[in-house]
Amino acid sequence: MLNVRDLKVSYGGIEVVHGVSLDVAAGECVALIGANGAGKSSTLKAICGLVPASGGAISFEGRDITRASGHAIVRAGITMCPEGRQVFPQMSVIQNLRMGAYTRNDPEQEADLSRMMDMFPILRERQSQAAGKLSGGEQEMLAIARALMARPRICLFDEPSLGLAPKIVASVFETLARIKAMGMTILLVEQNSMMALGLADRAYLFEAGRIVMEGAAKDLKNHPDVMRAYLGH
Amino acid sequence: MLIEILQQTINGLAIGGVYVLIALGLTTVFGILGIAHFAHGSISMSGGYLTYFLVTAQGMPVLAAIPVALASGILLGLLVEMLAYRPVRNANHINAFIVALGLTMMVEGLNLQLFGHEQVVIPTGLSRVFRLGGITVPELRLYVIVAAIVLVIAMMIFVERTKTGQAIRAVAENRDAAILMGVNVRTIPLIVFGMSTALGVAAGIMVGALFAIAPGIGEGLVVKGFAVLILGGLGSFPGAILGGTVLGITESIAAGFISSAYKDVIAFVVMILVLLIRPQGLLGRAP
Repeated sequence: MLNVRDLKVSYGGIEVVHGVSLDVAAGECVALIGANGAGKSSTLKAICGLVPASGGAISFEGRDITRASGHAIVRAGITMCPEGRQVFPQMSVIQNLRMGAYTRNDPEQEADLSRMMDMFPILRERQSQAAGKLSGGEQEMLAIARALMARPRICLFDEPSLGLAPKIVASVFETLARIKAMGMTILLVEQNSMMALGLADRAYLFEAGRIVMEGAAKDLKNHPDVMRAYLGH
Repeated sequence: MLIEILQQTINGLAIGGVYVLIALGLTTVFGILGIAHFAHGSISMSGGYLTYFLVTAQGMPVLAAIPVALASGILLGLLVEMLAYRPVRNANHINAFIVALGLTMMVEGLNLQLFGHEQVVIPTGLSRVFRLGGITVPELRLYVIVAAIVLVIAMMIFVERTKTGQAIRAVAENRDAAILMGVNVRTIPLIVFGMSTALGVAAGIMVGALFAIAPGIGEGLVVKGFAVLILGGLGSFPGAILGGTVLGITESIAAGFISSAYKDVIAFVVMILVLLIRPQGLLGRAP
């Protein structure tokens, strides 16, 4: 479904992703794990068109999207739930959710809106509050629901657990598991490798802008190198 | 005394409406692009001049000239965005600042070349005066107030109730997140400039009909517009509306009770006092 070949990303002439190749099949949940600064988020941003790829190719359902602009990529069916939630702080919860459906014209948006609020009751409770007034965990729920409002064909999650209390992290991962169970194709970037490997089907291990290991999540979870380097065992 | 205050309040509402329209245009541009669009006043006045020209030289009825001026204003706004501000979009903010200053001089010069240095008044033929108790309201002033209210409501509906309006807000609040929602961030500045210039031209026509247009008026209006934004709270639409109304009424009451020569001084003194008590502006968020 999503195929990345030899992707390179540079910021101001300094290359941070040195030729990464990865694939996500329909219905799969794939995690990108690795230390901070390993190039996971940059890879995700390049897929979404937020930063340009300086080399390589990205294709989605057979279409080349390497040079496509960010809004065109969303219309193609790729949505990202960004790092640090990035809700629209002065817009209400419901306005944020409606922005999620910005590219849609179908009549089912209102039905989806109420489905999202069934899934996240706190959002119904806070629907007319400014999004900036929500707690970090609530904002994460809003960002996830907003991403789903686009009815994406694949949903990218960039560090959904970042800056959240352990209890909230657990509930975010429960939510992701529910979304996975709904059949959503997921590409997840996480520093919390243990949690990510518990959720994902497959994973890629990033190190200094390269993929150093890939395989089934359960194999990586028990791999001595991964445990030693990233899980602190 | 009370009658006099009410009278000056009505007068102030008309000029306040002009300030609100100018300030709303400035605040949307500033919110989306972070540009202090100094040329806004001069461009607005060119719309007033154009209306004057169409009415006096072409013999067009005022009501026909206004839509033409508004449409030209929108077109001019699009050109300004594409030719002047887009090239410096990703450059240092000082570049856009210099472009804005240069553009102000260009448009002022153009106004001078095309319409001369004489002050002009748009002849509306509206000379009836309504009396209500002891208060007199010239019909022109009443129409200006009503038109300003209609335009402000139309803009609020556009921004709050339409997808495009929400996209404008989203880009102002978080550009990258707006891209992730599928907003085309290249077309949004065009829409914003079209909308804000149309509001500005409406204000220019009001100034031309109520008072007079002359070289330098637009630049003065832009300074007042920014004063309104700061008074109301930077980035807040309701703040711009409240700020413009307060400034208009304050000026009018000051002119009526003290001296019209000091109206600007008093208006700015009030602004400074408000900012001393509420540094974030009347409706601004505390930092």
